[in-house]
Amino acid sequence: MITANDPRLEMEFCGMRFGTPLVLLSGCVGFGEEYTRVKGFSNRDAGAVCLKGTTLEPRLGNQPHRVYETPAGMLNAIGLQNPGVDFVVRDILPTLDFSETRFIANVSGSTVEEYYEVTRRFDDSPIDAMEINISCPNVKEGGVAFGNDPQMSARVVAACRRATSKPLIVKLSPNQTDIAANARGCLEAGGDAFSVINTLMGMAIDLDSRTPVIGNNQGGLSGPAIKPIALLKVHQVYQVCREHRVPIIGQGGVQSARDALEFLIAGASAVGLGTALFYDPLICKTINAGICDYLGRHGLSHVSQLTGSLRLHERPPVVCGC
Amino acid sequence: MNHPETRGTIFLEDAEVLSHQAHPGDQYLLRIQAPECAAAARPGAFVHLKCDPQLPMRRPISIMRVDAKSGWVDLLYKAVGEGTRLLAQRRPGEHLSTLGPIGKPFEVHGERPRVLLIGGGVGMPPMVFLASSLRPAGGHTPWAPLVILGSEVPFPFQPRPSQILVPGLPPAVIAAMPLLDDWGIPNRLASLQGYPGCFDGYVTDLARHWLESLDDQARGQVEVFACGPHPMLAAVARLAREFALPCQVSLEEYMACGLGGCAGCVVQVDTPKGPAMKRVCVDGPVFDAYQVFS
Ligand SMILES: Cc1cc2nc3c(=O)[nH]c(=O)nc-3n(C[C@H](O)[C@H](O)[C@H](O)COP(=O)(O)O)c2cc1C
Ligand code: FES
Repeated sequence: MITANDPRLEMEFCGMRFGTPLVLLSGCVGFGEEYTRVKGFSNRDAGAVCLKGTTLEPRLGNQPHRVYETPAGMLNAIGLQNPGVDFVVRDILPTLDFSETRFIANVSGSTVEEYYEVTRRFDDSPIDAMEINISCPNVKEGGVAFGNDPQMSARVVAACRRATSKPLIVKLSPNQTDIAANARGCLEAGGDAFSVINTLMGMAIDLDSRTPVIGNNQGGLSGPAIKPIALLKVHQVYQVCREHRVPIIGQGGVQSARDALEFLIAGASAVGLGTALFYDPLICKTINAGICDYLGRHGLSHVSQLTGSLRLHERPPVVCGC
Repeated sequence: MNHPETRGTIFLEDAEVLSHQAHPGDQYLLRIQAPECAAAARPGAFVHLKCDPQLPMRRPISIMRVDAKSGWVDLLYKAVGEGTRLLAQRRPGEHLSTLGPIGKPFEVHGERPRVLLIGGGVGMPPMVFLASSLRPAGGHTPWAPLVILGSEVPFPFQPRPSQILVPGLPPAVIAAMPLLDDWGIPNRLASLQGYPGCFDGYVTDLARHWLESLDDQARGQVEVFACGPHPMLAAVARLAREFALPCQVSLEEYMACGLGGCAGCVVQVDTPKGPAMKRVCVDGPVFDAYQVFS
């Protein structure tokens, strides 16, 4: 059964048509079709689906354990396990149903050249857009090592820009001091949009063995625990994006329509779902319905009217939160 | 990460707890009403259960029995971590969000009708499920199974002397699981705890007694299936290799999605193309023992 999406949720994102503002996040939904085995699940309920982080060569990823539940969230250290860009382009993309949603590749690498090359190979494919993952905390080189250095971030974005004219979404790390400054540099380097935020670095310890639970020792923290941090980062990046009309996919701990609405109000145009899909794989339907309900109750005709509608308190010029 | 090999439908059901019994050793027998899962599940499959609203990540629990007609699913688990300890508090009438059935099932082969099933501790349930599918129908069966179950805490059922003779085992080893006995499935119990009628030793030692009692032709018809703690599975794999028998093992790993989407649940396996990381949830949980224990 094909259900038409609500026109109040349909939107344009970097020139792409999204059926809803929801985006299924990279690393949580494999290469796009895994969840379609769940009765009632449809990729149509999401505006876009981000594929797993992809590198030039295949990667085995980290040793187990790779995931562990923590209070209001989870740690993961997958280590970018993926079959390599050529396999993804040749063997996986042809199996995806592009009539259902937009598919976004998640470009990862250890060197600027690798980011360039992976982007170039996706450019020559049906993929709708590329998300540049300069914020993966679970690999030794590249990833967050690039994302936390504004100059390196900009170099990676500039290289990817040379490789494609498709939309480039820069995925920013929360593990850095001045996310807004980094965003500004990435915009100048040619980024079209932002994903805010990737996971925060964390650790869990097993008391019996006195070892970290995660095989990689540390991992990325996601889920409701990081939502307040993510909201603030979206707000901060939005200050840079607003005047340039650059859209943001807000993400980090969204598990309800209420959470999604908060991200939109903070400045996001679209809202990402990762960990919440592990809680409830059919959550998109609930969240879409909840957003529509809110629009109705507040006399709004389109979801885009919420983006950046945050009204800050008048406040004295003090930055300390103590 | 490849696309899933098994493409069966997975159902999300709000399953009512029908009964929940505590057994010694923190073992629990849980019956839930999950008709779609019950109708689709095959031996080896598991459900991904939300144990408690406090811990929204699901926990994988293997299926022990299903009744497709009445729609119930039986699970046997041990309360070991936070999730399963909270699960243990769920009472009849409460509901549990249940995702299943998940996983690639065991595969029995007609040319190897002597099916040796070895289950240790919380590895018993998939063996019971597999045994249920080998039940003689109308008094006739092509299968000649033997189930060996081991536990170092009291068994989560009352063992009783078996009504079924199994040649090749020490005569004093008579304790059996009543359910399997009633199904006409030969079975015996093993433990180091000196429980009456049980084999005093490891499940693999009892299995060896049986394998050594078979002639070459009979032994050539054996296939081994096992689920249990990692060291037990390693011992089973060694035994299978020694007797040159095919062997399938069911593995466990921490999981997030349970759907093949996160690659959080992998095990390293040997393939003809070199080492690979396979997802326990959808590429398994059943694997060729030779690929896992090389
Ligand atoms: C298991 C797992 C794997 C992930 N893999 C990737 C990845 O390959 N590339 C990436 O950019 N982000 C990855 N992420 C980060 C998510 O895409 C998302 O940004 C983050 O989890 C925050 O959202 P959430 O709280 O809704 O999960 C991963 C997250 C999880 C939980
Ligand atoms: S738990 Fe996500 S792939 Fe297995």
